[in-house]
Amino acid sequence: MKKRVQGISSISLLGILLLLVIIIATGTGAMQMSPLQVIAILLEQAGIRLPVAYPEQMIAVLWVIRLPRVILAVLIGAGLGIAGASLQGLFRNPLADPALIGVSAGASVTAAIMIVLQPWLFAVHAGQSAGIWQSYAHNLVTFAGAIVTVWIVFRISIYGNRAIVAVMLLGGIAINALCGAFTGLMTYVADNEQLRSITFWTLGSLGGASWQTVAAVLPFVLVPLLLLPRMAPALNVFALGEREAMHSGVKVSTLKTQLIIYSTMAVAAGVAVAGIIGFIGLVVPHMIRQLTGPDHRVLLPCAALAGAVLLTVADLLSRTMIAPAELPVGIITAIAGAPVFIWLILKEKRTMTI
Amino acid sequence: MLLVKNVSLTLGRSRILEQVHVHARPGELCVLMGANGAGKSTLLRTIAGEYMHYQGSIALNGRELHAIPAAEQARQRAVLSQHLALQLPFTAAEVAGMGRYVYRGEAGAQDKAIVTYALRLLQVYDLKDRAYTTLSGGQQQRVQMARVLAQLLEAPDLHATDYTGRKMLLLDEPVTGMDILHQQLSLQLAAQLARRGVLVLAVLHDFQLAAAYAQRIIMLQQGRVQAQGPVDEVLTAAHIRDCFGVEVSVLHHPLCAYPMVVTNTAATLFSSSADKAIKVC
Repeated sequence: MKKRVQGISSISLLGILLLLVIIIATGTGAMQMSPLQVIAILLEQAGIRLPVAYPEQMIAVLWVIRLPRVILAVLIGAGLGIAGASLQGLFRNPLADPALIGVSAGASVTAAIMIVLQPWLFAVHAGQSAGIWQSYAHNLVTFAGAIVTVWIVFRISIYGNRAIVAVMLLGGIAINALCGAFTGLMTYVADNEQLRSITFWTLGSLGGASWQTVAAVLPFVLVPLLLLPRMAPALNVFALGEREAMHSGVKVSTLKTQLIIYSTMAVAAGVAVAGIIGFIGLVVPHMIRQLTGPDHRVLLPCAALAGAVLLTVADLLSRTMIAPAELPVGIITAIAGAPVFIWLILKEKRTMTI
Repeated sequence: MLLVKNVSLTLGRSRILEQVHVHARPGELCVLMGANGAGKSTLLRTIAGEYMHYQGSIALNGRELHAIPAAEQARQRAVLSQHLALQLPFTAAEVAGMGRYVYRGEAGAQDKAIVTYALRLLQVYDLKDRAYTTLSGGQQQRVQMARVLAQLLEAPDLHATDYTGRKMLLLDEPVTGMDILHQQLSLQLAAQLARRGVLVLAVLHDFQLAAAYAQRIIMLQQGRVQAQGPVDEVLTAAHIRDCFGVEVSVLHHPLCAYPMVVTNTAATLFSSSADKAIKVC
């Protein structure tokens, strides 16, 4: 009972933290807004008037520029966090992260190909709507690239009618290397401008956020966020090993397939619009496990909330640290994430048995 | 009632089981014995549904294994495997609680009572809040046994329910790594379950434990059943020589209700000329 209370309280604590971070991040930028002003403008939309004064143009800045970006960070962060926690559960390996099964590598290679081939691909569509059409097509193809790579890794690991987790890790390494080679090839043939685009894409940025991108990412993150926590009890039993899970009544192959699909969904849509954002999927589950223990019923929702908090903060830093310029958010998550990860490894070293 | 008929199994290229025929009745504690690589664990796993490409027939209460859905199998049968590694620091109570997975949401408070009961029976209740990964090998094994027990039981009392024809317990070297007290305790527990009508099938290496607790012994050699029957019939010097390549004497002591197996002098172990050659060098 004590444990359950602990679980619920850590979920609500992180929820409150996320709300605070959202309000602060939305208020911070070239036009500074106080948290009260942010709340007032948001509630205004819902028909509740607060006695707080704010200039008229603040509404536009908040709704058009700030909020979509913050919401996008929340969605992508939550997707990375929950996918990382689920995959670490599936692989029974605390080193697993979404990059390992090929999500980022597949997305990278297709993104690089799209950038390099753009002049030919979109030559026919020159005109007014080309820009939007182009970015949509880009996101869609990148998303497809991620899904296809994961599918190949998953197929490699199938023996008989079950996926062998160790083979999947090795397959992931091989496919990552292959994708890396093709990305390298694209970098080699790219011209200067394209090279810049590819590099920036791999560094990750939420600069392209708009309500359209939010709408594009939302369903892909929402479905896993709702469905993955339902698999938490089965994931707990899965920690004992595949055989024991089967003997305990878990439908192992269904669990594995669904978990891979939902985790890929949660990550791939984000990668498609924002590029590669590392370390959130790896570090967040570790941090949460230290707080709440390994029970996936608590871990999965907490990892989603914490991922959202971290990416929102990282993006806030990325657009304010060297304002008016922007630092790619992937650099910030890596600079902050790697030392934290090393610290966690040092703490857990005693009990690790990989 | 478990009926294994003409079961053969090939893994990779090697034939592991060859025309195995085994039957076990509820209320019996059956012990599988045999040398390393004789196919004991594989037979147990095949009965546990891990290798569904077996040839022949495995019938549980007259129903073929293929025809029983996984969740229903988990309600009928609990399995304790060897070498259970856990990477994540779940507590002992959480690990034992995983045994109730297949009943989740049905029993409510009963679940917790059963898990507590199982932990107490295995004498690991005082470890319940410790991380499983920090326990000793023998303690881990007892927690796993508690988990399997929690999966099997329907009430937090061993004697409350009759399980005849409804429950099966498969144990793969359940007492490996346990101290002698807990070895006896665990096997007494298995024997009690058998008396409540549970069909218990266990792989054991220790002749003494097998002789003391088994009703039937099934001896395997290179994937075939070499001998099967009551303890007195199977545990003979001739069978043990055939299956294990060791000369033993089977003694009967007036103070001991079961036969005692004693190995003869070490010299007789090395009977082949190749082994002699090694000894000379």
